[in-house]
Amino acid sequence: MKPIAALIRRDLGVALRQGSSLGTAIGFFLAVVMLLPIGLGPDQALLQRIAPGALWIALLLSVLLSADRIFLDDYDDGSLELLASGPLSFELVTLTKACVHWLTAGLPLAVIAPILGFLVNIGPDQVLPLAAAMIMGSLGISLLAALGAAVTVGLRRGGMMVSLLILPLYVPVMIFGVAASTPQTIMAGSGVSSLMILAALSLAALVMVPIAASAALRAYMQ
Amino acid sequence: MDVAAAHVGFVFAAYALSAAVLGGLAIRTVITLKVLERKLEALEARQAPRRKAAT
Amino acid sequence: MVQSFANPTRFLRLADRLTPWAAGATAILMAVGLYLALIRAPQDYQQGETVRIMFVHVPAAWMALMVYSFMALAHGTAIVFRHPLADLAAKAAAPAGSCFTFLALATGSLWGRPMWGTWWQWGDARLTSMFVLFLLYLGYLAVWQAVSDPIRAGRIAAIVAIVGFINVPIVKFSVDWWSTLHQPASVFRMGGPTIHPSLLVPLGVMAAAYAMFFLTLWLAAMKAEILERRIHQMQIAEAGRA
Repeated sequence: MKPIAALIRRDLGVALRQGSSLGTAIGFFLAVVMLLPIGLGPDQALLQRIAPGALWIALLLSVLLSADRIFLDDYDDGSLELLASGPLSFELVTLTKACVHWLTAGLPLAVIAPILGFLVNIGPDQVLPLAAAMIMGSLGISLLAALGAAVTVGLRRGGMMVSLLILPLYVPVMIFGVAASTPQTIMAGSGVSSLMILAALSLAALVMVPIAASAALRAYMQ
Repeated sequence: MDVAAAHVGFVFAAYALSAAVLGGLAIRTVITLKVLERKLEALEARQAPRRKAAT
Repeated sequence: MVQSFANPTRFLRLADRLTPWAAGATAILMAVGLYLALIRAPQDYQQGETVRIMFVHVPAAWMALMVYSFMALAHGTAIVFRHPLADLAAKAAAPAGSCFTFLALATGSLWGRPMWGTWWQWGDARLTSMFVLFLLYLGYLAVWQAVSDPIRAGRIAAIVAIVGFINVPIVKFSVDWWSTLHQPASVFRMGGPTIHPSLLVPLGVMAAAYAMFFLTLWLAAMKAEILERRIHQMQIAEAGRA
């Protein structure tokens, strides 16, 4: 138990001290959300209709694009190789790093996002369902973002590749996330089942991402 | 019948596009292969006289 | 049997013997298929001539999916059995697969316009998952370009192929679910409600023609990859001697 705790403490410390991931994520989120009403025009009813989807897109992109630092620093200074040959299984290491990112960036953003929904004229009855869905999906979103970071850690133009590879994986998260966030579907009874599927997707990612991410990182380190 | 005739353009476009893309793919593959074969021949020719000189 | 092809030279010998037959089969099947598709197949009473687009659209879509599955399988073989040529097998198949996917999308759009009045339908399950597949092909090809070390490129490409392979049915399922929930105005259906045998035979022949076409090109691409590796090795040896 102690090596894991040490790793968590170290990564959390770095994340909290640097604070870069959450800052980047919030900055990007605000940029998207503030540009939307400008781009779409003054039609408030239209804005309110697209608010859940727009906020989900902003959340996904923000988490994805702020995740590139998860493995980069350790990869650059060689500590990733030390971790790979250490006492902990590498899959556990990658999982831990992804979860730290979730705690320091993904989850906080999922909590803040619905509140910032006022910028896109979100209806008051939409806020809570949106928050529930986003929090439920936030683990899966962070995990997939970590996968993207792992697969592109050694590439120079990693940003474009990350979007190409991970955005398709986000499609189901987004579909069920928006379905769970809209009051209409909730009244129709499918809101809860969407939440369940979101949870299932997060669990699936919990299993799949560490394996895939550690395989990718090992490929870069050899 | 007239409606069907008007749509023949789409059919033609679909087949023409398919032929163009698949044909282009085939040509590119063959050319790449030919270039590599020639490069390999050149390399082997360069190495043969060297082997003769070594013996 | 697969193990015996691990030797590149033996594979090349087999490929050289197989390629002419594959090319011949392709030519014959294409000729027969096109004849059946364009001349013998009857007009659909609903769709008129445009039903003929099915004969280039469906085989392209089938090949797009089959080639990606083949790539994922090849990379899986590379990982599990450490087969030296398996990564190359996937790499050789990718350009053809992406062309098939592009054609599936383009011909589908050309089919949809006269039939349903729209070039595209966002939110349709098949369209979205086929589009995602196209992006995955592009990402896969980009990996081989972006990573300089071929061994490492092979490993990263393997992850793209395998993760993407899981991806496609997920996207299809989730968008399908979403579509049925939201009841779109029009629902795409391949080839109409039922496929009449007079349409089935041309379709089968064209599908076989496309498959043979892929086999022929894949053999050529594999040969190119193997030769390129050999050239690279010889160049290194030459530099070492100089």
